[in-house]
Amino acid sequence: MKKMNNANRLDVPDFISIGIYTAIYFVLVTIATFSSGILFAGFAYVLLPALATLISGCVYMLMVAKVPKFGAITIMGIVMGLFFFASGHFILSFGANIVCGVLADIICKIGKYKNKMLILLSYIVFSFGLTGPVLPMWFMKDAYVANLIERGKDAAYIDAMFASINMGTFGICCIAILICAIIGGIFGQRMMKKHFQKAGII
Amino acid sequence: MICLDPRVKLYLLLEANLLLFFHVNTVTEVIIVVLFLLPFFLSGKTKSALRFTIIYMLLLIIGMMTDSAGTNTLLNFVAMAAVGIRMILPCLIAGAYAFSTTTPSELFCALRKCHIPEGIIITCAVVIRFFPTVMEDYRQIRDGMAMRNIYIGMFHPLQSLEYVIIPLLMNGSTVARDLSVAALTKGIGLSGRHTSMVQIKMQIYDWIYMIISTIPLIMFKGGFL
Repeated sequence: MKKMNNANRLDVPDFISIGIYTAIYFVLVTIATFSSGILFAGFAYVLLPALATLISGCVYMLMVAKVPKFGAITIMGIVMGLFFFASGHFILSFGANIVCGVLADIICKIGKYKNKMLILLSYIVFSFGLTGPVLPMWFMKDAYVANLIERGKDAAYIDAMFASINMGTFGICCIAILICAIIGGIFGQRMMKKHFQKAGII
Repeated sequence: MICLDPRVKLYLLLEANLLLFFHVNTVTEVIIVVLFLLPFFLSGKTKSALRFTIIYMLLLIIGMMTDSAGTNTLLNFVAMAAVGIRMILPCLIAGAYAFSTTTPSELFCALRKCHIPEGIIITCAVVIRFFPTVMEDYRQIRDGMAMRNIYIGMFHPLQSLEYVIIPLLMNGSTVARDLSVAALTKGIGLSGRHTSMVQIKMQIYDWIYMIISTIPLIMFKGGFL
């Protein structure tokens, strides 16, 4: 089986390419995390994933162009999840990354990794994996509130405090990701055309 | 210097996540944090372990002092922040411990023993190896831009982004090709079992530590703590 030279099978050079693009992607996400913390302090958790998707469109587009095989995006998602998990993020981020990775991969597969609109769509789906590290803000809220009530805090006060962390802001977060992913993705595709096709890299 | 097996470190990370999941009370949390910090100190990374200990103690003290804050808004806010940060601190401690005390080869050996597919291991290896390269490339790109009087700034966000990312990706593609050749020459593409310079084995104290660190969680679930 291993000897079969199947063009649709991921081999070692593909894994190495995926690794390198994942590293760049991860660095960009980390930069986005820090700068969004500085730019819009208290509100950062809503816009963090959006900012990251805005700047990392190029990386994703180049990876899809270089490794147009089923499984590449999934592996990128898994490895991203692993690194989020290992750097102390909540385990939900692992799940979110894998699910979004697989879905993005399937969408790309439908377009045979050529259809530009479908690649853009898959980038949007993949970007939602980045909500993983901030998901606890909404889903761990109960634990946090329970902890505060246990220590004798006023319930009404807590409610006022958490008014901004609800499904409404989660919606804002999702819409921000959607818009930023479209802009970032289109920017990425334009860059592909402007630089990489001319240079003959893809 | 005593170092736990990488698999135990991953297990500790998982446990730190479970802490958030189960809504543990403060007593259980403190016990488990102590259990996390102990191997951290023993592994020789005294400085960062000490830093985490101090941060955790400070947050704990702030949380307790502000318990009787009443309706004072500012104090309440401080208390909330303290509790919030303290809740994610076990995850960060376990993560820092796992990251700073494991060499890449140990990690890959452990991942292989966990029967993770080879493709994912190769990808992880490349990511870890490539992080320093990205940073160095970025510095060189910035220097090159400065020489041509182009500065990275907020005034031309798109331009800055393009001028930084495109060279990074160009270089990344070249490195990917070189690395593939180098790795294939060393036989990474061969089928069958790969040998490893590092040998890891679960020692008896690894098992004991896993069990000890689980006990507080079980006791909390059973209602003893």
